[in-house]
Amino acid sequence: MATPVAQEQRTLGLTEPGRPPLRAPRTSLKLRNALIGWTFILPNFLGFAVLTLTPVITLFYISLTSWNIFGAAQWVGLDNFARLIGDKSFHTALGNTFYYAVVHIPVTIVVSLGLALLLNQKLRGAAFFRTVAFFPYITSIVAVAVVWNMLFSPEYGPINQFLSLLVEGDLPGWTVSKDWAMPAVIIVGTWKDMGYYMLLFLAGLQTVPGELHEAARIDGANTWQRFWNVTLPCLRPTMFFVTVMVTIQSFKVFDLILVMTDGGPGQATLVLSQYIYQKGFEQFEFGYASAVAVVLFLICILVTVVQFLYNKRKEA
Amino acid sequence: MTARPSALQRSGRVLLYVVMMAAAAGIMLPFAWMVISSLKQNNQVFTAPVEWIPDPVVWRNYLDIWVRADMVTWVRNTLVLSVAVTALQVLTGSFAAYGFAKMRFPGRDALFLLYIGTIAVPWQSYMIPQFQMISSWGLNNTLWAIMLLQAFGAFGVFLMKQYYESIPDSLSEAARIDGLSEYGIWWRIIMPLSVPALASLTIITFVSTWNDYLGPLIYLRDRSLWTIQLGLQSFIGEYNAEHALIMTGSVLSVLPIALIFLLGQRYFVEGIATTGVKG
Amino acid sequence: MNRKIMSGVGLAAVASLALTGCGGQDEPAAVDGPVTLTLAGWDFASTPEFQTLADAYHEANPDVTVELKEYPAGDDYDTALTADLAAGAAPDVFIVKNLKNYVTFTEGGTLLDISDVAAELDPATGGLAPMEVDGATYAVPYRQDSWLLYYNKELFEKAGVDLPDGSWTWDDYAEAAAELTEGIGEKQVTGTYLHSWQSTVQGFALAQSGAPLDGGDFSFLAPYYERALAMQDEGSQPSYATVTTNELAYQAQFGTQKAAMLPMGSWYIGTLVAEQESGAADTFEWGIAPIPQADESTTGTDATPVTFGDPTTMGINSGIDESKIETAKDFLAFAAGPEGAAALAGIGITPALIDDAVADTVFGLDGVPQDDLSRFAYTTHETLPENPVGPTTAAIQTILGEAHSAIMSESTPVDEALAEAEERVVNEVG
Repeated sequence: MATPVAQEQRTLGLTEPGRPPLRAPRTSLKLRNALIGWTFILPNFLGFAVLTLTPVITLFYISLTSWNIFGAAQWVGLDNFARLIGDKSFHTALGNTFYYAVVHIPVTIVVSLGLALLLNQKLRGAAFFRTVAFFPYITSIVAVAVVWNMLFSPEYGPINQFLSLLVEGDLPGWTVSKDWAMPAVIIVGTWKDMGYYMLLFLAGLQTVPGELHEAARIDGANTWQRFWNVTLPCLRPTMFFVTVMVTIQSFKVFDLILVMTDGGPGQATLVLSQYIYQKGFEQFEFGYASAVAVVLFLICILVTVVQFLYNKRKEA
Repeated sequence: MTARPSALQRSGRVLLYVVMMAAAAGIMLPFAWMVISSLKQNNQVFTAPVEWIPDPVVWRNYLDIWVRADMVTWVRNTLVLSVAVTALQVLTGSFAAYGFAKMRFPGRDALFLLYIGTIAVPWQSYMIPQFQMISSWGLNNTLWAIMLLQAFGAFGVFLMKQYYESIPDSLSEAARIDGLSEYGIWWRIIMPLSVPALASLTIITFVSTWNDYLGPLIYLRDRSLWTIQLGLQSFIGEYNAEHALIMTGSVLSVLPIALIFLLGQRYFVEGIATTGVKG
Repeated sequence: MNRKIMSGVGLAAVASLALTGCGGQDEPAAVDGPVTLTLAGWDFASTPEFQTLADAYHEANPDVTVELKEYPAGDDYDTALTADLAAGAAPDVFIVKNLKNYVTFTEGGTLLDISDVAAELDPATGGLAPMEVDGATYAVPYRQDSWLLYYNKELFEKAGVDLPDGSWTWDDYAEAAAELTEGIGEKQVTGTYLHSWQSTVQGFALAQSGAPLDGGDFSFLAPYYERALAMQDEGSQPSYATVTTNELAYQAQFGTQKAAMLPMGSWYIGTLVAEQESGAADTFEWGIAPIPQADESTTGTDATPVTFGDPTTMGINSGIDESKIETAKDFLAFAAGPEGAAALAGIGITPALIDDAVADTVFGLDGVPQDDLSRFAYTTHETLPENPVGPTTAAIQTILGEAHSAIMSESTPVDEALAEAEERVVNEVG
């Protein structure tokens, strides 16, 4: 049992050095490795650098200008960022984005991991249930929003009709209530994303060696201990990937809010991505919108780096 | 535990299935509503309260969408885009991921961080500079634009890299000693072991291209280039919307993906654990 | 700034004005040889106006072909067109669809100065005057919808309520809605239907109060919101919550007789006629009345009722090939002039220039109500813009849109929401 466990202690993170080669490192070998490494990366990198990186760098430049999309951009230095400090709508959007992310991230991870564990078993009909779990992700987001809005309808919706059997008094107004709109959106967000992340976890679970479980079982570990001491450590690269993706996607949440509440009622569900769109495409303040995008980017990167460091410490 | 299942265990199993069936029904509810709405007359789709049984049942929508609308063109364009983007993304992504996961060279990690960094930038904030660039090459209003746009994203590289790192290095070490080149290791050792990740990447890329709306909206003008999502959106006019036809089209657009997913099942759960790799 | 559209403006006068307009031009209208102009429009399948204008112009000027470039409908039109303008890929002539973007377009230098075209148009052209920015005009209206009150005669009779006679204030309207709801006495059928758009409250308040949008004081909205809230609480109309969560469509609510009245834009005339013909809407007798007024000073058929509606305007891309400029200007003059108006009226669309000929054409269409009040309502109104041209309009409308959903969903009391909006305008628009 010792060998496979040791084997699982392998490179997991970003800067973790690869296993040192058996021979002593030499300059020519290093150069050769670098060359080969680049040949692997190059086909993708070319497209990536030209098509994604260039516009993204342009965006950073635009955030330092006042550009209305048409005509030339005017350099304004850090003015846009200074304006953010006093912009109450930006603060509201920032707060709402954190609200969404802080709830949506852990809930989605737990639910999708649970689904993956359940549907990774040799269950009759597992294929069917996996497909069902994936359905929300492939269903058109407009249809999703329409149906959930109807389910949440305070007067006629089945959810409140059901709740009225259980509780007395005022029922939540869901998407048309300031306090309940965000929980409603989070519920739908989790429901929609769970199949997607389940799929990623499912792939990760395939790398957990069966003999490890077998050995742990023989050692008398119960299901929970096996999950905690065998499955979870083996799943760490996937866990890191999923956590980073859920985090970034949650902070960037856009379509879902747009079709479900359009940021309302009032500004109750206004999030940063939507604010960027509003400022850019409705009010043509593209420089300012870009500054908001840069802030959103910095938040995502900060959280990712924290996750990365945590991941590394766990690993050590 | 290996003894025959006790009555308690068996009833637990039954309970589990009951719960799972109920959950499945709940999850499928929006899809069910789509199907029901596609069988309604347009003015009956949205009502308060919701009408769950169409009266009368209108099958015409399933004919109209092919006859009155250009669904054939939309499906063809969407298919071309999805297949091309998926092929490029999976191929270049899985190739590049090997460089990031298994090779050591200076600047590798910084470069990788750059990849992840771009995921953190919302697309709508840089789509205009990107559009200006691609238009300056004369590629706006062509399918090429969408292919270029989607094919080289950082997502595939990230996913595959993390998966490769789950594959024990001892395997590639052994192959290296046997004289296999790095390309050989990637193709002969790593790729066959990465089927679940490749399958996930394939279906996810395929679905996101299939359902993409904003990209085609910005780039594609001609009716002959429209995708399913653009086409369906065109049922929403300035003052009127053909909701029943939109739902018909949505049902038709979901079915092929669901079918691919169902048929590709075994690839999602096939991997190191089942292909008999021993440490 | 008073842009009355009076039925009294005679066809002859309009025609002579237009004739002198065209004839007075020194330069040739079109360059030698065939010219192709490109025109951006949206959703051609259900919006035939672009093809109609293109065909009519081609018929009058066989040398010129107007080629249509299709853009998506709704707000996506602006997104897609903005991208094309930014990349220099936009067509020669395009529709400035949302008036609130007009100033940004002009400031961004995307539109050609067409003051000469505007100067030759009939001054009675709806929405023309406010298009002038700092002495120059960059787009001209060819279409001008106005908001009217649609009503279902059969439901009125069933409830025993008197039909609208043009004398209604909003209080009369609210009273009638309550009586209708009770008189009809059917579950799910309400006296009236108010759609979820912010304009259904704010458009009327802005037009009828005469208050400026950018004055920093939104108290003029309060009485309109209080009335709307009272009506939904009474059950005279479906609540905002129900309308948004159940995605109710006004066409279905009025067309399938779930509401006896409907304040809506004049575009709905054509839609309702078509839906009754196709069976998508029930067959019933309906009529159009002037929209209810703030007080009695503008009610009655001897006064001019005040309503709102944004003109749809057309401008020339500043990146157009120089040799095509004259042709493009001629096309704009045609589209916004009487010939364009006649062509648009023929397909049931309300042109910016309404004259007797236009009214005759529209009311000559099968299925359009024939009573005098309907014709009066269609031809006589002072229509003020929902989005007055100004540099801060877009930002203010975003803030007011958020106030609208906060108030109508009853998340925030009226005064609090309006005070908050005023504060935000100071903070964000400045």
